[in-house]
Amino acid sequence: MDILMILFTLFGGITLSAQSAVNGTFSRKAGTFETTLLTFLTGSMFLAILILFFGQGNLLAILEVPKWQLSAVFLGVLFLLFIVTAVPRIGVIATNITVIIGQLVIGVVIDNFGWFNSLVIPLDWKRSVALLFMIIALYFIYKGNKRSNEETNSQHF
Amino acid sequence: MRYLSYILALLAGAALSLEGAIYGELGKTIGQLETSFYNFFMGSIIIGLLWLFFGKGELSYTVEAPKWTLLGGVLGVLYLTSIVISVPFVGVGITMVAVIIGQLVMSMIIEHYGWLGSKRSRINKEKIFAVISMIIALILVN
Repeated sequence: MDILMILFTLFGGITLSAQSAVNGTFSRKAGTFETTLLTFLTGSMFLAILILFFGQGNLLAILEVPKWQLSAVFLGVLFLLFIVTAVPRIGVIATNITVIIGQLVIGVVIDNFGWFNSLVIPLDWKRSVALLFMIIALYFIYKGNKRSNEETNSQHF
Repeated sequence: MRYLSYILALLAGAALSLEGAIYGELGKTIGQLETSFYNFFMGSIIIGLLWLFFGKGELSYTVEAPKWTLLGGVLGVLYLTSIVISVPFVGVGITMVAVIIGQLVMSMIIEHYGWLGSKRSRINKEKIFAVISMIIALILVN
């Protein structure tokens, strides 16, 4: 069962990079704000159907939860806006690796301080070395991207 | 402009982590699917307003565009739902590692072949080193 779940999650990662590629392509003709709007609109339509059939929670409780929990939606919008802006300029893989690094760094920070009621996991030497490897990865992806761009350009001319 | 794009992508990742931590709390109260729905529904309203005032593109391109380019929203929902389903079974740590590995390998393949309309960009030594460094970092974080 666990192996099945891990494969399922791998598929989740695949859909995320496919999304950034698809949105990047659409935004070249339609524009950044338009692409983000379309993604959110079709996503809510799809989820509305899913909730009707499989929703077991209580959507109305949204009126009672602390307001800071609702503020995350602004982050969701910013995330998509930034992705749609970056993909046509630096490509799918550079965008995805950079996103992952931002994600892990903030993840480590949240764990360290235990923000938002999360488990406190201090920044130890292992995690510091991990941060170092992320910086190395970012350096390689920047260089590798520059090199394959130069190769593509020299083939054209 | 290139540097700016890298900074935007870093900020996007930071936003995703903060969002995940906050929505985890919200999900406990109103349910996970409901949390995703709240995100997409309120998100549509916010981006709808932003689009009204700042949108310079062409929303009408939606009807002419090849249909597969309209799948971004559905793919986003699949991503969110697969995470919500697997976290209770294998935990957040393994879930994130699996997601990230799927994301890395898939974006490399997409770009290598120039699929989904992306600019074709071959896999080279540097990119493979980058992925190896990421995998080491992932092992160390967990």
